[in-house]
Amino acid sequence: MSGQTGVSMQSANPNPDGGVASVAPTRIQMRGRSITAVVLRLSGPPDAEFYAALEALMRQAPHFFVNAPLVVDLDGAEGLGEKGDFVKLVREMRARRLSVIGVQNGGAEQGVAAFGAGLITIQGGREVALERGGRAAAKPKAVEPAPEPASAGVLITEPVRSGQRIFADRGDLVVVASVSSGAELIAHGSIHVYGPLRGRALAGVNGDRTARVFCASLEAELIAIAGLYRTSDDLEPAVRGQRVQAFLRDDALCVEPLK
Amino acid sequence: MAKVIVVTSGKGGVGKTTSTAAIGAGLAMRGKKTVVIDFDVGLRNLDMIMGCERRVVFDFINVIQGDAKLKQALITDRRLDNLSVLPTSQTRDKDALTQEGVGKVIDELRKEFDYIICDSPAGIERGAHLAMYYADEAVVVTNPEVSSVRDSDRVLGLLSSKTHHAEKGEGPVKAHLLLTRYDPARVARGEMMKVEDILEILSIPLLGIIPESPAVLKASNVGTPVVFDAKSNAGKAYEDAVSRLIGEQIEMKIQPERAGLFQRLLRRTA
Repeated sequence: MSGQTGVSMQSANPNPDGGVASVAPTRIQMRGRSITAVVLRLSGPPDAEFYAALEALMRQAPHFFVNAPLVVDLDGAEGLGEKGDFVKLVREMRARRLSVIGVQNGGAEQGVAAFGAGLITIQGGREVALERGGRAAAKPKAVEPAPEPASAGVLITEPVRSGQRIFADRGDLVVVASVSSGAELIAHGSIHVYGPLRGRALAGVNGDRTARVFCASLEAELIAIAGLYRTSDDLEPAVRGQRVQAFLRDDALCVEPLK
Repeated sequence: MAKVIVVTSGKGGVGKTTSTAAIGAGLAMRGKKTVVIDFDVGLRNLDMIMGCERRVVFDFINVIQGDAKLKQALITDRRLDNLSVLPTSQTRDKDALTQEGVGKVIDELRKEFDYIICDSPAGIERGAHLAMYYADEAVVVTNPEVSSVRDSDRVLGLLSSKTHHAEKGEGPVKAHLLLTRYDPARVARGEMMKVEDILEILSIPLLGIIPESPAVLKASNVGTPVVFDAKSNAGKAYEDAVSRLIGEQIEMKIQPERAGLFQRLLRRTA
């Protein structure tokens, strides 16, 4: 991929405010909704080289981009100012099955031009730190978000009770107590349970296929990694109650005892 | 310093009201000034188990809504004068409870009593939430069966997050496990869960094991808390549980059923 027109993809949360709007008495119902979008950084009007780089990136992760709402970041794309530019951009993106919904970090005039092309200007929200792996393809930027502390994970020391849901929105989730049946652990990274795991554990929920689930005693109702799951019914009796790890190998969820 | 203790379980029919009455009476027998409050608005039961249903004039809801003074609603037990009952309304529902109202009543009771025992309704909705909200400690009543254990686990999660203690950042409410309707014979046959298995799942200290006993139903029907029946194994087990609740160290043993004459004869021939 060309370094000149590198493409960097990030996920952002354009509307962190998920509150319920006031609701009209009948028929019309409005609600707040927060969604995860993909941010595409532009460094100027996109040229053929840019689109080639984009297509190369999409070939690497075809499912990640399909139907994902896309936000174009204009911080560093001052050249993009005409309504026609945006109309062309949207058309080119749609041709690649990418749905641009809005722009961010642009000037006032860029906002007006984008609005003319049916795009909204998105303010607020926060971006997710760049994923490992995606870093190599990214162009070094002038403003980089402050690096996350090294121990960016979630540590739970109390038993996780039935009905509780623990969500680690970045990094690993570590539980040094039991996880009851009916409890749910969700993590972007791996899940470590140093007690009996009787509830559900969903690791790599953002599609991280390298995530794993470790536990001191496997009695789980369900284990999932990057969307691939197995319920307790599908688990071999040999691994039940054992110290195990679960991981993905060739699109199969493997559960193996820890040695 | 008054202590507010909620008796809760999540699941219905496990023996919350029976346990509230027995623990309340047990504490009063030890000389502690105790009040039991019925939070099960609309399904008034505690006053019947305590045997004072004919003396109810005003109730908890009247006090919360300012229609009556707390003194008017409190019923003093005829057997123990340091035991009081705050009955609830049979005609209203749980929406009549408000957080501020409950808080005010509990604050007022704290000035007068050593122990305030809140009898929670089943479920995890408003009534159960408000019953546990101001608690300092909790007695989680559990039967030795999977659904009861799971519901107790859920309630323990709420105790550590949805209480005044937890919201103030003073840590979770201290919870004790009270195992009721325990039948050693059925456990031996593998029909009921073992104590160790339940403790392993819930990981909270055990307050007592109340054996399944005909004395409990009999006591409920005549309106006498089962601790007054000193001969019954269930009554003894509740006495031991109360001792542990006030900090005494007592060996945990499952009270054996006293075999009647007929049973002894039958056992010999069998």
